[in-house]
Amino acid sequence: MRDVYVAGIGITSFTRLEYPLAEIAAFPAMLAMKDSGLTGIEQVYVANMGAARVNHQTALASAVVDSLSLTPAGAASIENGPASGSAAIKEGFLAVASGMHDIVLVTGAERMREVNNLEATDFIATLTHPLAEYIYGVTLPSHAAMFTRLYMEKYGVTERHLAMVAVKNQNNAMLNEFAHLHQPITIEGILDSPEAMTNNPYVAEPLRFFDACPVSDGGAAVILVSEEVAKSIDRPLVRIAGVGQATDTHAVHERENPTDLLAVRRAAELSFGMAGLTPSDVDVAELHDAFTILEIAESEEVGFFAKGEGHIALEKGETALDGRLPINPSGGLKGKGHPVGATGVGQAHEIVHQLRGEAGARQIADARIGFTCNFGGFGNNVICLTFVREN
Amino acid sequence: MAREIYAYECTECGTLHYPFKMRCRNCGELEPFKFKTVPLPKRGKLLTFTKVYNLPAAYEVATLGIAIVELANGIRVTGQLEVDDPTIGMDLLGDVGVVREEPYNRYWGFIFRAA
Ligand SMILES: [Zn+2]
Repeated sequence: MRDVYVAGIGITSFTRLEYPLAEIAAFPAMLAMKDSGLTGIEQVYVANMGAARVNHQTALASAVVDSLSLTPAGAASIENGPASGSAAIKEGFLAVASGMHDIVLVTGAERMREVNNLEATDFIATLTHPLAEYIYGVTLPSHAAMFTRLYMEKYGVTERHLAMVAVKNQNNAMLNEFAHLHQPITIEGILDSPEAMTNNPYVAEPLRFFDACPVSDGGAAVILVSEEVAKSIDRPLVRIAGVGQATDTHAVHERENPTDLLAVRRAAELSFGMAGLTPSDVDVAELHDAFTILEIAESEEVGFFAKGEGHIALEKGETALDGRLPINPSGGLKGKGHPVGATGVGQAHEIVHQLRGEAGARQIADARIGFTCNFGGFGNNVICLTFVREN
Repeated sequence: MAREIYAYECTECGTLHYPFKMRCRNCGELEPFKFKTVPLPKRGKLLTFTKVYNLPAAYEVATLGIAIVELANGIRVTGQLEVDDPTIGMDLLGDVGVVREEPYNRYWGFIFRAA
């Protein structure tokens, strides 16, 4: 297998965007082409979850490659639920690693604020088991809530720990110009004050409003290239050193131990194994915090902390911007936003930004090794990527 | 007519599955549809639950209880929960009722109440 490098990155604001979906995919792609100085794209992968259902558009990649005037390059859409972004990066990685292509564009985009919140929630809920979950009114917040309750019982996680994740990530988002939420929050405001229960009502007990990420539009792109191309341009060398993907049962109730996220565990092991690195080597990570509990649980399953101790590391500030292992410096899904199909590419964007030393006020000093976890379904399709800064 | 929800027993090795799978997760038999239906028991214990406030478009109620329940034969299922003050581990009794109504469709599934 050939080495694969990230030569260029681009991103839109994650917010409500008033332009067509194909343009949300094309805009960050143009930024990434400009960033890398490369326009000779041979293959395009477009990550998206909702085009057919939410935007009434199919074959999105064909529209994007044309909008970018990149025809006759190859193009394909990748729909893999909330892990579409990293699944598209994996395809791009394989295309370059195999030797088939030298320059591949991966762009992710979602436009889900075109519909109201109830419809958006229903759209995401269609990834649950149609007969054993969806028909009951099960949503992603319900899965996260039932998981949180067990985590609280078993490991002593409290609503305060969840609020600490929300505060940390929304405060990180304040330093990210592309983030959806630029709203500073405090534990006092969302948990302790008399107004807290009005500010922060339950959405699915024991999860509250501020435990969930916002519904975002947005796009992000990366350009993946061979070593030869990477060394021919004047950009910092960031290599994708590890790619791990794993799956778990579709119906959550079928999992033997309902507090395990086995696909996260395995995807991380595969990613670190391929990179020849360990979790303790990581300088900065973006974990899929669609719900606050997920940052805590994933930080354990990927191997940063022992099972049941993620909330203790959080309490000690180890995952803060100035901590031993900063998690979600971008603001995460919680603060930066979650345009579902684009999220995995957005995570990669932040890690490359950090490893290049270009992250401004939220820059992690001397970050050399970065890691992403993109969590599809309710943990039934997970992709972890390991990035290394080389020069 | 009373409705029933079934588990799927592999006729090769006896492993129970819910929901249905094309291929047995235990023995991996490749001959399709080698399962027989087995009615699921109605009694179970509450494994975890939530009360949901922002519901998908099809529901015209203020809140909805959702639970994962371990039935008496060890099979776990997801269902709706109609218990005022649920606690993990409590005994439940499941009934099959309408769990979702759309203009031209009704869906039947588990509704659990205190035993
Ligand atoms: Zn079998």
